[in-house]
Formats: sequence, structure tokens, C-alpha cells
Amino acid sequence: MNMPPGESEAAERQALLALDRGDRKAALTLLMESYGAALYRYCRQLTADDDLAQDVHQLTFVKAYEDLNRFARRSSLRTWLYGIARHRCLDALKQKRRRERRFELVEEPPEQCDATADAEAQLTARDLSRVLDKCLERLAPQIRAAVLLRYREGFSYPDMARICRERSATLQMRVRRALPLLRRCLEEHGVSP
Amino acid sequence: MTACDRFEREAILRLEQGRALDEHFATCPDCRQAADAYQRLQAGLASTGAAYQPRPDWQARTWAAIARRRKRRRWLRTLVPAAVGACVVALVLIPQLPRTPQEPGIEVKVLPAGSAWRGAEAGLGDRLLLRAQTGGARHAELRVYLNDSELVLHCCCKPPCIRDHETLRAALDLSSRGTYQSLLLVSDDPLPTPVAGLDGDAGQALAAGARVEFGETVRVR
Repeated sequence: MNMPPGESEAAERQALLALDRGDRKAALTLLMESYGAALYRYCRQLTADDDLAQDVHQLTFVKAYEDLNRFARRSSLRTWLYGIARHRCLDALKQKRRRERRFELVEEPPEQCDATADAEAQLTARDLSRVLDKCLERLAPQIRAAVLLRYREGFSYPDMARICRERSATLQMRVRRALPLLRRCLEEHGVSP
Repeated sequence: MTACDRFEREAILRLEQGRALDEHFATCPDCRQAADAYQRLQAGLASTGAAYQPRPDWQARTWAAIARRRKRRRWLRTLVPAAVGACVVALVLIPQLPRTPQEPGIEVKVLPAGSAWRGAEAGLGDRLLLRAQTGGARHAELRVYLNDSELVLHCCCKPPCIRDHETLRAALDLSSRGTYQSLLLVSDDPLPTPVAGLDGDAGQALAAGARVEFGETVRVR
């Protein structure tokens, strides 16, 4: 679950006050408590890999701690954290793909939903959330990130543009392309949204 | 009859852009059905990934990682200046370190009294310049024989020879016509005294275990 907006704003304020006092440790502790779980989920959904998600999640907070003194306050701390996480996740995915290509372990994941539903997904076809997780994993990482930021994390397009360092219009197009793919993927798994 | 797909083609993007939809979407049954489906899809997306939770000790692990990185950075802050210092010291010291001795050898040049170079041909009044590498031998001598018989230069470490570590240099004014043959003799044992002309002296030195290097012959016409 995402934090309710009121609590999130209070946590932001307290973290910024801690930064004003020069207390980076307190600020990071607040960020960990406020956004740690949601950020982990985001990393896990974006990387589709438990180990990678744990590494990237940890690295996100390590980098945040190192850069907190330079936080320019042009966005919320939450937006800033998601920006670090997204960058690290995509980087980790690139490295993973490179490794996989080198050792030829698996094929590159297709950008679109796979037409053949696997047996496991068929069994859980009524569980919209679980099947959606599967379908999300089959989107290209950049598109998946946009969908997750928009509908899972509830960011506005201007905030998403800051996180992804891309234009809002580009991100809107990504989401627009992704939704029909997800719908079809669900239908192929026997789930009608 | 084909279902209307305007919702997918137009409405999704318009809604993402925060723009209003036209009348068609309120009345077209296919589009209304699609709108409901996408609303459910979006609601479903908002609850995905609920099972993914970080490890219970993730905060402690993150603090430990931060501490490790700080420690490593402290080391780097110490090591980088130390490495730079070591490089500077090495740059200063390396030219002064003892070098592997070069093979013994002798180089002969003629410095003309006039302005023209004449290679191995020389004229009266020119200067013969000798430069030899002793190869780290304990004893080294430069000798120049005129017409293979008369020893016109013989020195080791005093003028006209100049010894600088493993280099032995000497100069000789070419005051007579004839053939000047320069020799470098090196040995770890004392070298035999020259007495019998070029062939005899070289043979004697070789017999005593010395190494004899011949320089280029210079003719003075």
C-alpha cells in the first residue's frame, strides 16, 4: 500500500527539517520508514527479480544518503528517491541482460505480452492482481516503469517526467501503448478486466 | 460487425493527457464497455505487487552498506594522495636507479677541423672522438693504434680519458697521416700492458680473458 498523502507530506516535512539541521541520518531513517516498502515493491516489479530488487533497493538508499546534502528541493523527496531507484533498476537490468547474453542463459524478454499463456498463469486466471504482475513483467522495462509510476505509485505526469527525465508526452504515449497490451494479456490468460 | 475501437485509439491518450472526451464516448456501447474495462485494469494495477516485501532487516543492512562505503571512501581519500605521492617519488628516483649495464661497445666519430663531414675519411688536424660503453667491467681501456703498430692513445680513467660510470670517452688530435684503429678492452681482471702493437696486444688481452671491441677504422689522407 502507498502511504496516505497526509502522512507522506508530514514525513517529507520532517525529513526536510532534519536536513536543515544537518541530520542526514534522521532524514534517511524517515525516508526509509515512509517509502522503503513501496520503493522495494517498485524495484521488484520493475526488475522482476528478487535478488536484483534487493540490491537496487539498498543501493537506492545508500546513494540517497550520499546525495542528501545536495538535494536541490526542486521536487519532493519521494519523487527524487523514485528517480534514483528507476535509474538504478534500469541500469541493473541492462547489466543483467548483458550477462545473460554473454552466457546465453535466457532469451531477451519480449516487449509485448506473450500470446501463449503459461500453465501457472492459467491456474490463477481469476486472480487479476497476480496475472497483472505476470503481464507487467512482459512489458519492456521503460514502459513498465511508466505504467507502475502512473497507476501503482500514483505519480502525476510532471512528477514522472522528473523521475524519468523524459517529456510528459513521451510517458503518456508509453502508458497509452501499454494499457491495451495489458488488457489483451489478461484476456489471453482468461481474465477479463 | 466490427466493434468500435475508438476508445483504445483515442480516448486512452486523451484521458492520460487530462483532456475531455467527446459525445461519442458517452453513447457508444463498445467504448463504454472499453472504458469500464480500462477502469478495472487501472484499479487492478494499483494493487499489484502487494506480495513483494523487503527483507525484515533491510534497514540494518542498508546502514551497514553505508558504513562500509564510508570506510572505503576514507581509505580512498588516504590512498589516492599516497599513490600520487608514490608516483612523484618514483618519477624522481627512477632515473637515478642503477641501470642494467649495456653491452660493451665503442663508437668512433671524426670532428673535422673545417666545416665538412667526411665520414670515416679524415684530414690532418681533425679530431677523433671515442665513446665506449664498458658494460660494467671493473677494468676498461681505450687504445688507438696508428698503422696497427704505434700506440697513440692509451688511457683508462685519467685524461685524456674521461670515465662517467660505464661510459668512457676520449679525444685524439689526428696529427699524422695513416690508419687509426681504436680499441676498447674490458675485463674484471687487470689488463695486460701494451707492448707489441695492435695484433700482439689484442691477442695478449684476449688470452688474459679480456674482451676486445674494435671501433671503426679512420684513415687520414
